[in-house]
Amino acid sequence: MGRELPMMKVDRVIELEHAVVDGVDISGHWNRMFTDRSIEEYPTEAMDWVTGLAGGESLRSCYQCGKCVPVCPVNHVGSYGPRKLHVKVLRGNNLLDDPDLWLCTTCGNCLRVCPKEVNPLEFMPAIREQAVLEGNVPAELAKVFENLQRQGNPHGHSPRKRADWVADAGVPVPLIAEIGRPVDVLWYVSDYTSYHPRGQDAARAMARILTALGIDFAILGNEERSDADSARLAGETGLFEMLAEQNIKTFRKYEFERLVVMDPHAFNAFKNVYPRHGWEGEVLHYTQFLAPLIDRIEFKSSVDVDVTYHDPCYLGRNNGEFDAPRRLLEAIPGVRLAEMPHNKKNGYCCGGGGGGMWLDGFVADHVSERLSERRVREAVETVAMDGTGVLSVACPYEPSRFEDAVKSTGNDGRLIVRDIVELIDQAMQPATS
Amino acid sequence: MSDTVLVVGGGPAGLEAAHAIADMSARAILVERRAVLGGTPDESSYAALTPRMGSAQEALDLLRAGVQDPNVEIHLETQLTACSGSVGNFSVTLEGPAGVTTETVGSIVVATGFQHFDPGRETQMYGYYEYPDVITLPDAEKMLSEHRFVRPSNGEPPRNVAFIQCVGSRDRRLGNEYCSKVCCGVASKEAIEIRRLLPDAKVYIFYIDMRMYGYWENEIYWPAQEQYNVNYIRGIVTEIVARDGRLLMKGEDTTMGRPLEVLMDVIVLSVGMEPSRGTRDVAGILGVDQNKYGFIATPGDPMDPVGTSVPGIFVAGAAAGPKDLEDTMSMAGAAAMRALRAIRGQARAEVGATR
Repeated sequence: MGRELPMMKVDRVIELEHAVVDGVDISGHWNRMFTDRSIEEYPTEAMDWVTGLAGGESLRSCYQCGKCVPVCPVNHVGSYGPRKLHVKVLRGNNLLDDPDLWLCTTCGNCLRVCPKEVNPLEFMPAIREQAVLEGNVPAELAKVFENLQRQGNPHGHSPRKRADWVADAGVPVPLIAEIGRPVDVLWYVSDYTSYHPRGQDAARAMARILTALGIDFAILGNEERSDADSARLAGETGLFEMLAEQNIKTFRKYEFERLVVMDPHAFNAFKNVYPRHGWEGEVLHYTQFLAPLIDRIEFKSSVDVDVTYHDPCYLGRNNGEFDAPRRLLEAIPGVRLAEMPHNKKNGYCCGGGGGGMWLDGFVADHVSERLSERRVREAVETVAMDGTGVLSVACPYEPSRFEDAVKSTGNDGRLIVRDIVELIDQAMQPATS
Repeated sequence: MSDTVLVVGGGPAGLEAAHAIADMSARAILVERRAVLGGTPDESSYAALTPRMGSAQEALDLLRAGVQDPNVEIHLETQLTACSGSVGNFSVTLEGPAGVTTETVGSIVVATGFQHFDPGRETQMYGYYEYPDVITLPDAEKMLSEHRFVRPSNGEPPRNVAFIQCVGSRDRRLGNEYCSKVCCGVASKEAIEIRRLLPDAKVYIFYIDMRMYGYWENEIYWPAQEQYNVNYIRGIVTEIVARDGRLLMKGEDTTMGRPLEVLMDVIVLSVGMEPSRGTRDVAGILGVDQNKYGFIATPGDPMDPVGTSVPGIFVAGAAAGPKDLEDTMSMAGAAAMRALRAIRGQARAEVGATR
């Protein structure tokens, strides 16, 4: 099918030798101007094509009310907006060559307010999948897909190193393959928690908390593969399915009561998508698992900080869990919890979802600042105006993402980023002074 | 075999139906939950009627006068609590100040009306229960019926007033997929009244589509725009936050394709219609089908707008879905006629059967 923009008629071209405004010569591309462009054709093929894709159906339903635009995090830093996307497709653009295709983080805030339930969590992956099939993918994202394909993680590290963090945990972390018996909790550690240095801090903290609570747990170690949910939302359905098949095969090898995961994206995949691929079981995000147990934790010190909490889109808005992380934070001695203006259902996306984690370079050309930078400014205004505050998180994408944003917005030393498990772990240690 | 018609609900539809039945020399029992007749227009202190700006109170007085008729037996503070039987011979139980009574009626007209959408159910963040200066169409109506329009927070006249359309209507997420039909006209009418009271105030209406059918186009929409300088802006607001003692409204101006962040003093939510509690309860008691929104279903639409799923039971007004007063009056007359025809047709059938 064609990719042409709507037929535009240019009635008149004004060509100036010199363009002078208020006495200043601004010659350049201002010299050539068009007047009275009339649309002569509305090609409907693009909308027919999108809505013909499985998942693309709802894009047609938009009635242009515009409620989505003010709540779209990307609109806050650029001109992208879900309503405008509908207009573009309706005018003949199938988005395959349009940067807009890669700007949506599938945060779901537009869907929350949409009276027609136009759902980018479905239509974005559907259109992106077609771009993936054509090999028409931004290079940095293509590299991550390749890593996932070859190594089963987005970082491109060896799967054999997936449990290397265990060495510094300070407590034994049993491998399910080695203990040879059923366990209560199979702890799915997740990609960033396993490989990223800042993610590993959360993994070690979690290991110590589980041990202190006397939980019967084990990890998959080298057998664990990426949940690849963000790759799925970025259009790599085939890759997602391949890794899901591997994980499901591994899950079936062992007996466990429930799966506890660190990454909300993995939580979303296991809870909402894996059932379609034949695996169903109890899945808990770590905040949900720990919240009912928090009274059993013996705290030995007070953290004494102002804390705000960033709701991860795939734990909060898209999966409805707002309370468990807050219950944990409120139980930690010395935490003074304050809410940012955008919280809970209206939480502001960090920019990392739906493939955004691997598109920062590409996205930078189309936005005035990163979503993580905007979020960090909001956190600073909430908890760090008179000294030091903590931005607490519950998604392994975020410590490194927000720490970069703290630096780039000049807030180094003012805002500290901590996973909730890191704060719990800290308060479980005796005061250091 | 009874030749009496039970009319449930003493709002415009019920009053007009009871009056029409009496006018056709039959007997009506009119049952009303409240202590006064007049229904929602009375309870919510409607000011002027759309589109011709006549007094709502005068119109209600006329309707009330219409049931001052020996053929109409009025039961106030009374509710229908049970019903059995079938067309020609329904046995209905009424509970009121006189205690529990049972009546036999030949047919029934349901006129139990609507309720205004509760903005606490919004998916947007309009803060109706948070900010005193965020009000609804009926809240504005109450002020206008007292010939004033002020900021509820401080009693001062507003400089900027915004209406937000489609609150609680046309929304799959809320389950109210239908257009509530009257809100575009009522908002425009209130905008005119505000401009008459406060010539210095700027009044804006933020809309998705202005749905001004028939004469409402030229009788309300055009005068509001042309004579009263009401500003119509396409695009719906998503969020309202307090800013410097005023209300900052965030949305998108979809014609311009640009975000809007405008300070307002009063924001009026154009809330739509939902079935009233009475409509839901009475539908259950009578065993008539409701549509997916809880309004009473009219399976014979479009050729029969008043027949329900039960022979001998008819519906008039907003109990059957969003209606303006013109629809309501038309339906009330039609329901009255059909209710009598049901009884008389039944009577003829019974006479024929005994021969």
